[in-house]
Amino acid sequence: MARHRGPVLVDTNVILECFRVGSWRALSSGYNIETVEDCVTETQTGYQRRRAELQIDAAHLVATLQAVHPVTDAERAVVAIRVPDIALDVGERSLWAHALTRSDAWVLCGPDKASLRFGVRLGLRNRLIALEALLGDAGHRPKDALKLAYTTKWLEKVLGELFISEGLGRL
Amino acid sequence: MTTNIIGARIKALREERKLSQDELARLFGFKDRQTVSAIETGERRVTAEELVIAVEKLGVSLDYFTDPFLLVGEGRFSWRQTDVGPQKLSAYERNAGRWIAAFRAIAPQVGRSAPLLRRSLGITRHQRFEDAMEAGERFVAEFELGDIPAKRLVEVMERKLGILVLMVDAFQGISGAACRLPELDVVLINRHEIAGRRHFDLAHELFHILTWDAMPPEHSEEARETGGNRVEQLANNFASAVLMPTPALDRFGDWSEIAGGELAGRLNAVANELQVTASALKWRLVALDRLKPAAARTVSDAALRNNGRDVVQTVLPPPFSKPFTEVIALAVDEGRVSARRAAALLDLTVDDLADLCATHGVQAPVEQ
Repeated sequence: MARHRGPVLVDTNVILECFRVGSWRALSSGYNIETVEDCVTETQTGYQRRRAELQIDAAHLVATLQAVHPVTDAERAVVAIRVPDIALDVGERSLWAHALTRSDAWVLCGPDKASLRFGVRLGLRNRLIALEALLGDAGHRPKDALKLAYTTKWLEKVLGELFISEGLGRL
Repeated sequence: MTTNIIGARIKALREERKLSQDELARLFGFKDRQTVSAIETGERRVTAEELVIAVEKLGVSLDYFTDPFLLVGEGRFSWRQTDVGPQKLSAYERNAGRWIAAFRAIAPQVGRSAPLLRRSLGITRHQRFEDAMEAGERFVAEFELGDIPAKRLVEVMERKLGILVLMVDAFQGISGAACRLPELDVVLINRHEIAGRRHFDLAHELFHILTWDAMPPEHSEEARETGGNRVEQLANNFASAVLMPTPALDRFGDWSEIAGGELAGRLNAVANELQVTASALKWRLVALDRLKPAAARTVSDAALRNNGRDVVQTVLPPPFSKPFTEVIALAVDEGRVSARRAAALLDLTVDDLADLCATHGVQAPVEQ
């Protein structure tokens, strides 16, 4: 597939997975990677919600990102009003809140099913991309295997299920 | 989670601040109070802009209005505790309220709604303690709790009565609680308590759940197996009968003939078998007139502590419960709740969440 040239919005899970498999450099140098402040916070020790935490230097992370966006209550309120029944974590919600303010050709990379359901619900299925696809298109193959939820095949399967679950398959 | 959370919370906050609908309408810039009324009843949806005005003008967080994993102005608790201050109790209640609110919000989404109808016991505060005991005995028979009722009580409460029972890590001094929401009944038990006390708390809170409308319990009560106000005494008598029904006690013969020196050992042995405290057993036998009060008083509390064991049990029941964990796992797997959010709710890592699922024999929704 042709490499995506527009902004790529990534969530905490993706940043952590990239650092875990040693692919952050490939991702951040291959794309215009952007995120939100809450996701950067969640990559730091004490906020990762992982048993074995990774040491990620915040300054280095920010320096390798194209942009780190602040998110306002007004932007988060849009998420709460439009999709009140999907419970996202702080960073995931802020990332979507930011994404919904943009009109350019962004794509979003985040493996959580609730985040994916959110995208499907709002008709943004085509904006969702797997980490494996991004790395593959950039000509990078991680030394350690990516977890299943970061693979293209898994994403396609889940998006199909969510599409049907949301009642969109009948349209 | 799609019910009118925002409207209900605006109303709760308005009432807490003692504001009229007119005053709130002026705050929002609406021309009349009808708009506020329509928002509060859910007839009219709040816009994102109005929500931000509410956050700014009322000085609360956005989550206060939008987070379905919060109890705001709803849910009544009744705690069993010993020497726990109101502030500490209130902080713990907020935390427990999040688990309960989350379960309430997501269980229906994954096909695990609470029962439509509630069971209740036809007992009032004016009835005799013997009536509460008889109700306990009948409960055991009707729900077939068997020879050791403590073993099956949680299962019956969950499966037959639709009560959410959660084993929780609570402060020392908190034994448990009953919580009533319009849609859900919950019992919290401190899983660090010894087994006999846990079972007694469970049966005691069951009484409160089954009699809540007729006898709403106090917000906080001292945890003890005897005494307390009338409702507490009725609850204790019911609990004793549930855990130690007469047919179960009949198996252990005549207590009046046991020599004083052997009584403590016998009480401890039988209590262990019934999975109750020896102290509760002693007073149950007195209530049934199978043991004379004078004989009961010859047995010191020290002789019955930990049912005569030097070492207290170390195996704790797993945290929360299987039905609760199943709902969380299903919600994550179906993309109703994100894995990080679910882990945060339980103050766990995502890996711990997978372990919690494994502990309860539930399919983990995330890859470790």
